[in-house]
Amino acid sequence: MGWFINAITSNRFQTIAQNTDTCVKIETGLKAVGRPSFTLIDKHTDKETRKYSATKEFLYQLLCFGIYVAVIPPIFKNGGFKLFQKVFTKENLPNFRNAKEMLAYYHLAHLDKEERMLEQNKKYWNAISDDVIDKTIRTKTGKFKDGIPVKKYLQTWSKDKITDKGKMFKLAKGSIELSSIVGSVIGLTILAPELSHLILHPIMKAIGMEKGHKKPAEESTEKNKLDKQV
Amino acid sequence: MGLAYNKIKKICENLGEHNDALYAVLAIAVFKGIMRPTFTMMDKESDKETKKYAAFREGLTEAIAFCSYLITHKIFKSQAPSLAAKTGKSEKKIANGLSLFSVCLTAGIIIPAVCNLTLKPVMDLVKKVSDKRKQKLGNDAMQGKLDIKENSVKTNESFAAVYSPKLSPNSISLMDSLYKNRMQNSGMKVGG
Repeated sequence: MGWFINAITSNRFQTIAQNTDTCVKIETGLKAVGRPSFTLIDKHTDKETRKYSATKEFLYQLLCFGIYVAVIPPIFKNGGFKLFQKVFTKENLPNFRNAKEMLAYYHLAHLDKEERMLEQNKKYWNAISDDVIDKTIRTKTGKFKDGIPVKKYLQTWSKDKITDKGKMFKLAKGSIELSSIVGSVIGLTILAPELSHLILHPIMKAIGMEKGHKKPAEESTEKNKLDKQV
Repeated sequence: MGLAYNKIKKICENLGEHNDALYAVLAIAVFKGIMRPTFTMMDKESDKETKKYAAFREGLTEAIAFCSYLITHKIFKSQAPSLAAKTGKSEKKIANGLSLFSVCLTAGIIIPAVCNLTLKPVMDLVKKVSDKRKQKLGNDAMQGKLDIKENSVKTNESFAAVYSPKLSPNSISLMDSLYKNRMQNSGMKVGG
């Protein structure tokens, strides 16, 4: 039990748990494995139908995953973040260039001061530009008269101080999550079913899954035709 | 406008403060439960009954998903305080971790298992009820037709008189010859 608690309370797991994008990717990946597996062991239907349904389900979830990776981060995550930056101009958020920059700051800000400086976190430091400035705090004269670079907070302040001073930039982080949720909903409930109509049948035919198998809909239509003829 | 701005700001701040893995998967389940049956019903290639069946099945799957996510999340999250007391770790962190773990477990195992166990019996039940209703509607329609026929035929003659017409001797000999020819052509022999 101890290893389980250690794993779910680790920084990496906590960052994933707070990130819509990663959560949905994991969920879709698990669906791609879980659903076909359970379809294959379902004893209510015959073997051919199970194989057909499981392959179709697997391909559908794979398609969902592809759509998610291709569409959500560039369009919704970054697009939404930029849109919200314009909407919240009055709130004086720092000038993060994209969602990735903001998320790198957020990740480092949640670590202890010493942990931030570790080699493994260098990629997060590199992701944040030096000229990302917080203009809400500035000195009247001197070095920071135009605002303080957010990297300064990460270099000098502890996690608690950053939280207390309100420099986690919850609004910016929340806008990324909201646009990711909206993007996930649009991608997985509108784009995926429509694209699956176009892509899945040719793939199923190409791998020889649609030759011997008739979908329930086809069977029913054929039965209706026969009934009409009779 | 100001109200909408404040509302969106509040939502963003809350999501920034605490974003649960559950929010996204619940939103997806709700919208899938609405959109997938809608798309199925809009499909012009399938017949009406098949569309209804498929749409109901899809709606039911997402309803199962929605309930499963909520229930497992509630069960797992309720364990956070006791686990925090046992291990001495932050309750908030444990709750966060358990939340993601419950979503993964539900998506990968619980939903497909519950669907396997419940979909078939529920769909069979629905089909049975629908067949019964159709049968009843069919009987009513048949009765309606018979009523119309019965009411429309008004005669004082008896059934035998109507269906046994009196034929002239010429007509009887003509009918006999036709009958004989037909039997010969078919290759059948009466009493043979």
